[in-house]
Formats: sequence, structure tokens, C-alpha cells
Amino acid sequence: MFLKNSWYVAAWDREIADKPIGRTFLNEPVVMFRDKAGQLIAMEDKCPHRRVPLSMGKVVEGDLLQCHYHGLRFDRTGTCVRVPGQESIPETAKVKTYPVVERYHWVWIWMGDPVQADPATIPDYHYLDSPDWGAKGTYIHVKANWQLIVDNLLDLTHLAFVHESTIGNAAVAENAEVRVKRTPGGVLVTRWMIDKPAPPTYVKAGNFTTNVDRWQFIDFLPPAYLRLSVGATPTGTGAPEGKFEGGINMRNLNAITPETENTSHYFWAQAHDFDVKNEKLTDMIFEQVKTAFLEDKEVFEAQQRVIDHDASESQVDIHADAGGIQARRILSRLHDEEMQARQAAE
Amino acid sequence: MHFRVELVWQDEAQDDVPSIYLTSDGRVILQGRSVSSDERDHFKLPPGADLISVDRRLIKAIKEML
Repeated sequence: MFLKNSWYVAAWDREIADKPIGRTFLNEPVVMFRDKAGQLIAMEDKCPHRRVPLSMGKVVEGDLLQCHYHGLRFDRTGTCVRVPGQESIPETAKVKTYPVVERYHWVWIWMGDPVQADPATIPDYHYLDSPDWGAKGTYIHVKANWQLIVDNLLDLTHLAFVHESTIGNAAVAENAEVRVKRTPGGVLVTRWMIDKPAPPTYVKAGNFTTNVDRWQFIDFLPPAYLRLSVGATPTGTGAPEGKFEGGINMRNLNAITPETENTSHYFWAQAHDFDVKNEKLTDMIFEQVKTAFLEDKEVFEAQQRVIDHDASESQVDIHADAGGIQARRILSRLHDEEMQARQAAE
Repeated sequence: MHFRVELVWQDEAQDDVPSIYLTSDGRVILQGRSVSSDERDHFKLPPGADLISVDRRLIKAIKEML
């Protein structure tokens, strides 16, 4: 199940240069490259002649993409403008193009109806390029359905079991009070852990010597944007009342783009608002979280293998799934609406 | 070990509807107010039952969230 009329993260901006890069989104192969002026271009990664991926080709004359096989050239509108060896160009020699926008160091792509592609609807990830935050991120390819990753990020009780050497400890799973708020546009999961030991990563980043008051705010927007506000302050210093000073305050920023029904592109970053120019600190926090995320990847891919074995098997829901369940309901409704609109248009 | 989840529905006007609580002993607890004896008399409601009055929008929240 995919939502087509949404912006998706296609790449980090640093990944795209004049050498074409091929990547599949929502089951559609796409080639991306920059023209001579640095402008992004995204088009169908399939030459209409003999269906060779255009990403095997090269950029010529500044902004034309030349097929590696027989040299057909395509302009930024996807129109074939040259067929070697003949003057006439078949009218059907065209490839689909996609709206792309560069923002917050990410390349965003719109896979649905181009008329509806409004850049104003791109969610706010300013932490990635703001001078007020130290941030570092990466890309992970995951052999699992994108909704398994959404479920994971909306239920952080797994930190206690999957990530006990980094960002988790038993306090995350026990005696918890979780608030799941369904907003008109998404889901907000709020969680406080008061007077608990700090997990290993927090001790390293915040030098805590006492128990902490720790928070996790998970902001979900469909289809798969998850912005986590996480942090801790020494216990009793007033964080639950809004005083976040004297501790660590971080953002964990996630965008998952479906590749196929059972594989995903996972873009994520970690940002911190303390000692923002300290690159060693940024690297240390990033590496700790990366360790945790690679542990998650193992879980997603193991889940997917079991699901692939028998997709019809039912699952048992527990209280900790409340955020993920609400997200799935929103996604299901949006998918139904999109399908109805598409059928009405046909 | 106690794990409780509060479910909150925010309506289109961005007002939070009173909460639904899921408790670790398996109960669903709704936020409302008790029905007074005057109200029970006026509306001929069962005098001995545990009754609560809930916000109408909570019904939508129950339909959408549970």
C-alpha cells in the first residue's frame, strides 16, 4: 500500500551530482541527476527504446541524459531530442518526469499527480540545516516494508530490549504513562520517564551523574515522517514543567520512502541543540544512534522474512502499539481517499 | 509493572476531546463526570447504577481510535 500524492525523500543532496543515480520509489524506477547549473532532474529510469535503465547513461550538453545503449537523448521534460542515425524522433519516445525539490539537505520527490505537488506541504526538518543545531544523518536500505519502520518509531518501548547498550534501558518499558494524541493531520505520542537512570548514550552526551527526567515526543505525519524530540535533564530540575535547560535536547529525524512493498529507503539524522559546533560530539551521538538503528534494521528484516513466509497470519496488539495503530488508521483512510479520487478521475 | 495509555482525539478545531485510558489490567476508562442524583431524578435514569456523562465528541474519538 502506497500513498502516491505525497512528498518523499529521494536522496541526501550530497548523493546527487551530474552522474545519474537510479533508485526505485513506490515500485517506479527513477533516475536523478543534476544539470550543468546544479538543478535537479528526476525522470523514469527506463529508456522507451529497449528499456535499459537511463541511470546507466550519462549527462551530455549540460542537461541532456544520454542512454548508455543506443545513445538516445532526453531533455528535462523527458522528451527524446535525439535518436542517433535518424532525423525523425518517434512521438512516443518520452519518459515520465517527477517534481523534485531540494530542502533541508534532502531531495524530495513527488510520485503522484504533478498538479498537486505543492512544496509548501513538505514537512519541517529545519534541524538538518539550521546553525542552531548540530546534525548528522545517513541513509539505510532496509529489506522490509516501510510501515514496519513507522511502527517501530511510534513505539519506543523496544528501546529497552533492542538497544540496551545505547539509547535504552528498563525504564523505557516499565511503569510507563504514554499519551497518544490523534491530531487532524497525524499522531503525537508523548512519554515522560521521571527520576530514572539515564541510558548509556545519554550519560556519554550529557555527563549525567544522577537520575534524569527523560522525555520522548514522537510526531508522526503521513505517509512516513517521524520527528522525535528526545532528551533528559537531571531529575527534579523542572523539565516536565517546561524547563529543558541543564540537560540534553535532541531531535531524531526520520523519513521513510517505500522502494517496493517489502523494501524501503530509510533516511534519518540526529540533531542536538547543545554544543552545536562540537563535531566530535555530533559524531559520537550519531554513531551511538546509528548502532541502535542498525539493530533495528536487523529486526525489520527478520520481521519481513517471517511475514513473507505467511502474510495472512494475524498479529497481537498490545498497549504500546497505540501510536502505530493510530498511524495505520490514518494511512488506511488516506489510501482509501486517494484510490477513490483516482477512480473518480478515470 | 504498570503501563497505561491515554488516547486523546483532537478535533478539527484543534480542541482536545476528553481522554480514553487503556490500563494494564485490561480496562478502558473514559473521562467524564458522574451523574448527579438530581439528573437521575430529572431524566429517570437508573438510581443505583454507576453512570458518567461524557462529551459527545468522545463518542467519535471512541469510534475512530478504538
